[in-house]
Amino acid sequence: MTGRSAPPTASPIRPFEFPAVAEERLGNGMEVRLVSGVPLPVVTAMVVLRAGETASPAGREGLAVLAGDALEGGTTRLSSRELARALEDIGASFGAATGWDSTTVAVSCLAEHLPDAMPILAEMVRSPAFEDEEFARYRDQRMATAAQRRMDPAALAADAHARFVFAEGGTYARPVGGTEASIGRIDAGDARDFVAGRYGPSEGALVMVGGLDVRAALAVAEAGLGDWHGEVDPVPEPVASPRRRERVVHVVHRAESVQSRIRVGHIGVPRSVEDYFALIVLNLVLGGSFSSRLNLNLRERQGFTYGVRSSFAPRRGPGPFAVSTAVENAVTGAAVGEIFREIEGLVDDGPTRDEVEAATSYLAGVFPLRLETTGQIASRIAGMVVYDLPGDYYRSYRDRVREVTAAHVARAARRHIRPAELCTVVAGNADDVVPQLEGLDIGPVSVHEEALARSAP
Amino acid sequence: MLDIQQHVLDNGLRVVLAPDRTTPVVGVNLWYGVGSRNEPEGRTGFAHIFEHMMFQGSAHVPTNGHFHHIERVGGSANATTWFDRTNYYATVPSHNLDLALWLESDRMGWMLPAMTAEKLENQRQVVMNERRQRYDNQPYGDWDERVQSLLFPGDHPYHHTVIGSMEDIAAATLDDIHDFFATYYLPNNAVLSVCGDCDPDHALDRVRHYFEAIPPGATPPPLPGTTEIPLSTGETVRSDVHAAVPLPRVYMAARVPPFTTEAFYAGEVVSNVIGRGRSSRLYDRLVRSRVAKSASCHILPLTTGATMFLVVATGFPDTRAEELEAAVSGELDAVGDLTEAEVARAVIGSETRTLRALQRLETRADLLSMYATLFNDARRLNEDLSRLRQVTLNEAREWCGAYLHAGNRAVVRYLPDDASRARPAGTAGPGASA
Repeated sequence: MTGRSAPPTASPIRPFEFPAVAEERLGNGMEVRLVSGVPLPVVTAMVVLRAGETASPAGREGLAVLAGDALEGGTTRLSSRELARALEDIGASFGAATGWDSTTVAVSCLAEHLPDAMPILAEMVRSPAFEDEEFARYRDQRMATAAQRRMDPAALAADAHARFVFAEGGTYARPVGGTEASIGRIDAGDARDFVAGRYGPSEGALVMVGGLDVRAALAVAEAGLGDWHGEVDPVPEPVASPRRRERVVHVVHRAESVQSRIRVGHIGVPRSVEDYFALIVLNLVLGGSFSSRLNLNLRERQGFTYGVRSSFAPRRGPGPFAVSTAVENAVTGAAVGEIFREIEGLVDDGPTRDEVEAATSYLAGVFPLRLETTGQIASRIAGMVVYDLPGDYYRSYRDRVREVTAAHVARAARRHIRPAELCTVVAGNADDVVPQLEGLDIGPVSVHEEALARSAP
Repeated sequence: MLDIQQHVLDNGLRVVLAPDRTTPVVGVNLWYGVGSRNEPEGRTGFAHIFEHMMFQGSAHVPTNGHFHHIERVGGSANATTWFDRTNYYATVPSHNLDLALWLESDRMGWMLPAMTAEKLENQRQVVMNERRQRYDNQPYGDWDERVQSLLFPGDHPYHHTVIGSMEDIAAATLDDIHDFFATYYLPNNAVLSVCGDCDPDHALDRVRHYFEAIPPGATPPPLPGTTEIPLSTGETVRSDVHAAVPLPRVYMAARVPPFTTEAFYAGEVVSNVIGRGRSSRLYDRLVRSRVAKSASCHILPLTTGATMFLVVATGFPDTRAEELEAAVSGELDAVGDLTEAEVARAVIGSETRTLRALQRLETRADLLSMYATLFNDARRLNEDLSRLRQVTLNEAREWCGAYLHAGNRAVVRYLPDDASRARPAGTAGPGASA
C-alpha cells in the first residue's frame, strides 16, 4: 500500500493515435477528408474554404465575415426560415465561422440525418440568396457587434493593440469583423461577388467526421457537391508589418473603468514558422497554462489578477504575440512592470529544463483530451487544409512535441520575442494609470479618448 | 446507453463508475453538496472563495501543486461554484487515474493543515479581480445580481449571486474556512464520478484506497432563509438601469418549477420553443424582423423552491427599450398556442445536443455527479431523454399558462446612458492623442 505523502506513480500508458483520415475526391476534384468509427451516432460535416478576411477587398473590411453570417439567411431555393426549420426539425446545429484565413460552414446532427442535412449544407455554400433586406439585417447585427466591441474592455484593448502593433493599412491592423464604417459600406451585391470569386471546390475541402459509413457518406457528398464547378483565384497573401520598432504605450481612456485591461506584445509569426513546436512550448512556459511564469507571478504571488495569458496567434501571415490580463487600477503600473520582467527574463535566460519537460509532457498528454468530439476533430482537419499541413501532421504531433528541448525554446524566445519592441495598450482610467505607467521604462505614453480610439476607415 | 455503476463507501461517499474504453482518457468529477445557497447573510461569495482555497494545497500537496501535477501529465482540471453545489474535475490520460484520486482525496481529507491567512489574502485579491472583471468592469456584468434580487425574495437562498458582494468577500476569515470545511466538505456530502477508460473493479479499489480513511461528519445544517416560495412574483416587478452599455437589453425572468420536479421537462420544451435555435419564436419573430439584434431563452437547472426561466433580448442602437420589452412580453403572452411541430423540434434539438455534449468525458462525469447528487441516482442520465420525449402538447401549453403570465415576471432593462449611445464611428487616428 502506497503512502499518501508522495504522488502515486502512473500505471503503463495506453497508446493513442489521431483517428485515421481517409482522403478522397469528388467527381469535380474537390477534396474530401473523412473520419469514421466515432462511437456515438453523431456526425459533423464541414465545408472549409480558403476564403477568410484576408480576401476582403480594401474598403469592404468585414465582407468575408458578413458573407459567412448571411449564408444562414436563405438560398435560392429555401428562405431563411425554411432553411432553419429544415435543419432544426432533424435536430441539427449549423453555422458559419470566418477568420482571417478561412470560412467554415458546418452542420452537426445525428448520423442517420446526414442524408437530409448534407444537401442543405451544400446549398448554403453554393447558392446563397443574399436577398437585400435579409442581408441588411445581418449587416446591422455586425455593425451593432462592432459598437459593442468599443465598450467591452477586452475587445477594446485587443482592437487597439492590433491597431498600434501593425502598420496602418495592413491586413491585421483592424478587427477581423471590420469596423462600423467599413461594414456600413457593404451590400448584398458585394457578398454575391465575394462568394462567386472566392468560394469554389478548388480552394477548399469537405470534412466529415462521425459514426458514419464511408461509402454512404461519400455518396451524399457527391450528390451535394460533386457537380460544383467554377474556378476561383487563390486568395491574396496577407500584408503585415510592424507599425514601429520601439517601445510605446497607448492608454485608451475609459472613465468608468475599475480595472485596467492590459495587452503587451508585438508582431508575431506566421503559421508556417519553422520552429512552431518550440514556440508553443515557449508560450506554455511564459503564459499559456495555469502553472506558467506569468500566472504564478501575477495571480498566485501578487494577487493582481484573476488570470493572465500569453498567446501567439499564427495566421498565414504573422499574427500578434500578446500577453493579456485585467488588473485593478491601482496596481496597473506594477502589473505591467512584472509582465516586462517575465518576458525579459525568459528571453535573457531561457526556460529551465524542468519547465520544458513539464510543458512538452502537458502537450503530449492533453492531445487526446482535445479530440473528443466530432467538431473538435473536424476543426483540426480543416486547419490542416487551410495551412497546408502534411497528411501525417497529427500522427507525428506528439513525437515532434517531445523532441523540443530547453535549447530550442531559448532560441525561439530570442528569435521571436523582442523586448525592445513591446507595445503596451491599457484600456482603463487614464487619470489613475498614466502616472503609474510614466514611471516605467516602457516607452512614451500617449492617451486616447475612447471615442477617438475607434478604428478608421 | 451508458454503463453506470453506483456504490456507497462506509463514510457515506457516493461513487459512480461509468467505464468507456474508447480512448485512453479518464474523467474524475466531484460534486460537493454546497453552493451559494448555503451562505448566510454577510457571507455571500464564500462558497466560491472556498473553492479557490481548495487549490492552495493540502497536507501532502504544495500550494498550486494540484494544477502543477495535473498539467504535468497532460490533464486539465478546474472547479466551479454554483447555487446548489461546487464541482471539482480533472480529465487525465487514464494511466494517471491514481494521481487524480490522490489529489482529490488529499484536499477532501487533509486540506486544513495547508491553510494560512496569507493564502486567503492572496485568493481574496484574485476573487475581487474576478468580480471586477466579470461584473463591475463589464457592460451588463451585474445583470444576474439585479435579476435574482428582483425574482427571489430577500430571505430566499437565490436572492444573492455566487460571486457575492465586495464587502462580504472582504470579510471572509480563516476561521470561516475551517468552519465551512468541517460543515460541508465531508465524504457524506459528496459524489465522486469516474468516467472513461477504467476497469470498474480496479477503479473502485483505488477509490476506496484513497478515500475510505476520510471520516464522515454530521449532516450539514438546513439552508438559511425561506426556501419554499410561491411560483409567482404576484405582479411584473422591474428595474431600469441607465449605464455605460452600447445597446439596450431586456432581461425578463419568471419563477418556475425547479429542476427536480416532473414539471421541469415541460419547461425545458417551452424554453426551446421560445428561444433556442433559428426556428425559435424569438429568433423567427424578433430577430428576423430586426426588432432585436439577438434574443434567447434559458431555464436554469436550480432545485430550491423554484428556478429561473429567463429571456435575454438585445436591441440595436436605435431600438427603444420599451418596444423591445413589449415584443418579448408579447411572445411570452402568446406562446400558449405552441404546436406539435414546435414541441417535436424542441425535443429532437435537446436530444441531439445532449448526445453531442456526452462526447466529452468532462461533461459526462459532471452529469453523472449531478444526477447522483440531486436524484440519488446517476442512472437517471440514461432516462432523461425519454422523459423529455413524453412531454405532451397539452402539458406544454398548461405550463405556459401557469407560469408565463404577466403576474410572474421580473424585468431588468439596460438603457444606454447619453454618453454611451452608439454613435457613428469617428475618423481620428491614433495620432490624435492628448
